Amino acid sequence: MKLLTHNMLTSHVKGVTKGYPLLIKATEVKVNEVEFNPQFVSRMIPKLEWGALVHAAEELGHRQDLPGELVQDFEKNEDFLKKVHRVLLEVEVIEGCLQCPESGREFPISKGIPNMLLNEDEV
Amino acid sequence: HQEHHSSTCALEENNVKAVRRSKEEKKLLRKQIKASHTLLKHEGIHTAPQPTRSLVVANGGLGNSVSREELSAALKEMGEMESLLMPPHKPYAFVTYRCEESALKAYTHLNGQKLQCGESSVMLYLAYVSSVTHEEEASVPLPEGLVLLEDFVSPEEEALLLAAVDWSSTNDDVTAQKALKHRRVKHYGFEFRYDNNNVDKDKPLPAGIPAECLPVLERCLRNGHINVMPDQLTVNQYESGQGIPPHVDTHSPFEDTILSLSLGAKTVMEFRHPDGRVVAVVLPGRSLLVMKGESRYVWTHGITPRKFDMVPACEQQSPDHVTPEPGTRSNLTLSKRGTRTSFTFRKIRLEPCRCAFTSACDSQGASSTPSPSTPPPPALPCCHADAARLEEEYVHRVYDAIASHFSSTRHSPWPRVCHFLSSLPPGSVLADVGCGNGKYLGVNPEMIVGCDRSSALVQICAERGFHAFVSDALNVPLRTASCDACISIAVIHHFSTEERRLAAVRELVRLLKPGGHALIYVWAFEQEYNKQRSKYLKDHNKEHHGKENLTKNTSEDRREPHGKSAMQNSGHLEEGYEPVDKKQDVGKVTDGKLSVHTNRTAFNTQDLLVPWHLKEGKKQGEEDHLTPVFHRYYHVFHQGELEQLCSQVDGVKVQSSYHDQGNWCVILEKD
Repeated sequence: MKLLTHNMLTSHVKGVTKGYPLLIKATEVKVNEVEFNPQFVSRMIPKLEWGALVHAAEELGHRQDLPGELVQDFEKNEDFLKKVHRVLLEVEVIEGCLQCPESGREFPISKGIPNMLLNEDEV
Repeated sequence: HQEHHSSTCALEENNVKAVRRSKEEKKLLRKQIKASHTLLKHEGIHTAPQPTRSLVVANGGLGNSVSREELSAALKEMGEMESLLMPPHKPYAFVTYRCEESALKAYTHLNGQKLQCGESSVMLYLAYVSSVTHEEEASVPLPEGLVLLEDFVSPEEEALLLAAVDWSSTNDDVTAQKALKHRRVKHYGFEFRYDNNNVDKDKPLPAGIPAECLPVLERCLRNGHINVMPDQLTVNQYESGQGIPPHVDTHSPFEDTILSLSLGAKTVMEFRHPDGRVVAVVLPGRSLLVMKGESRYVWTHGITPRKFDMVPACEQQSPDHVTPEPGTRSNLTLSKRGTRTSFTFRKIRLEPCRCAFTSACDSQGASSTPSPSTPPPPALPCCHADAARLEEEYVHRVYDAIASHFSSTRHSPWPRVCHFLSSLPPGSVLADVGCGNGKYLGVNPEMIVGCDRSSALVQICAERGFHAFVSDALNVPLRTASCDACISIAVIHHFSTEERRLAAVRELVRLLKPGGHALIYVWAFEQEYNKQRSKYLKDHNKEHHGKENLTKNTSEDRREPHGKSAMQNSGHLEEGYEPVDKKQDVGKVTDGKLSVHTNRTAFNTQDLLVPWHLKEGKKQGEEDHLTPVFHRYYHVFHQGELEQLCSQVDGVKVQSSYHDQGNWCVILEKD
């Protein structure tokens, strides 16, 4: 699971109102090399929940020097875009789980894939 | 010199011909051997680089129609064998010799050589393996009330009984001889009618049970298998490749004990309990099967139409002649079927049946129609729990099982879906709900995340480098109004109630931002639109040969592919079986039962089970009588039905709707 995906995911357990963002508990993290596309990263940034991304990167120990707030004029800042690219698309959780911040329910991540299926009683 | 000569003779004696090879032939052989090693690895068989006592014999398996006797004869020549394992349905076997020298000899002489099997031959490839694991043989008990008595009649008595049946009789009134498509049937005493699965007790046949049968019946009385003399006899003659679908003998016309005498060739009869248990019983020639109690009233019995059965090899007979559970490695061999004649003796029941098995009893309220397929097709669900169970069985489990084969057939994205995706503005966030193998996740380079109910399919997406997770389409773990667009291609038709289909649309709409768009594709009932047949129907002629038909309409003539027997699933609607309930044939589903569809033909009901023939790594069109079949549930949509469904959702309107290659499609726009 890449952090771009994590940024979109939320807990959908019945009755939970504050299910976003999911906490990450990773037991295996990989860093891949992914082709850098500055335009793509630049277009993604406004769509992201920046705080959630930074927090997730921190949880994984891969925040490095990513700022807590978005920098101005990031579209032209290749350095910054590269940092975002790395955290968004190169860092990958292979094994672990996502945890609902409100209910504590854990969703397993296995072979890089989060399984968000709920049981009948949680729906 | 002399040694070489004698070993050649030995080989020829066992139908293995040693050939002198040219350089090209040697090169080709090396390639073939390498290919066989790759295939074996896929099966989890790892070959050893050094010689050992054990070898895997690729192409020498039961799955290749190689019999134990044929293979054993060739292998015995090389030295003393410790064991020969032939796993059921597999295209290989394992042999272990007492010493390495024998294994070496087998390898040298048999690798890359042809083995003659009956009228055909196979090319064997041998390789050393470090170990051969034997699984515990599961011993399966016979159904309650079932007894098998071997050698019940002598060969002389058998000949007399067979001669007593005159198949050439033209006087139909006397014995009610009917040609039930292929299986030959003759009745004595009373006629068993296949149109209502019952007996006309007021109209006995002129001919009663032949006198030749009396000694056998008296023997049964003396031994206590029956208390009263039977007064009805049905003689069935099965040629190789013929069978009878699973059924319970109707309770009301016949008393408890039913006797079935098998004459001629042996066969395998399968007993199925409603709870899913299956027991395969070998019925040797001249054996008597006594069915009482549960085995008579509850378990169905049937004979799968086949030309070969897998039976225990003689050296190691299973108790009670039960063939071991499929999957257990035991000493099995192929047994070619011959003509079998069964004499089924029954006593006409005069009072209604009062058995304890009321759910199967027609005297006590149950339907007198025997179940035509096992397990019986599910009824349409009436609540979420039932619906979820049906979808689990007929959608989710199936996709997980067929994932890689399914994925290999889903590689061309549909143009109009691509057009929808490509026409979205840059920076859009997209969700593909029910993304399958990720076919559409690579179309638009923008941010797209996919989700699917099948972990196996999501795994394929991940392998292809896409962002995907496992979830249900009714509960997508994405925030409300987080997507600029969503697509749901060939998904909603898998939901088995209208409420669930509606809920799926609602969930898609929830994900959309104001002004966002959703594209939905569902399978259309109307496969022909504007006089254009869809690709689904057009491909029918290409793929027709070799496909199994599971339709309930028996009016079609279903000839088996030439020369080979299709090892069909039991529960097939077979020749000779006329269903009483014709409601399901065409048009509306009046009793809410699902029908099984014939692939690549027009639909005749909206709710159905569509077969998927699993081909693992085999060439398309190659006949494989061991292909498993899975059934997927679909609700195919009528014209206008999808718009009607979407119109029930607040805050969204149908922007456009169209027909595309056998699908009904809508584009929704959120307010």
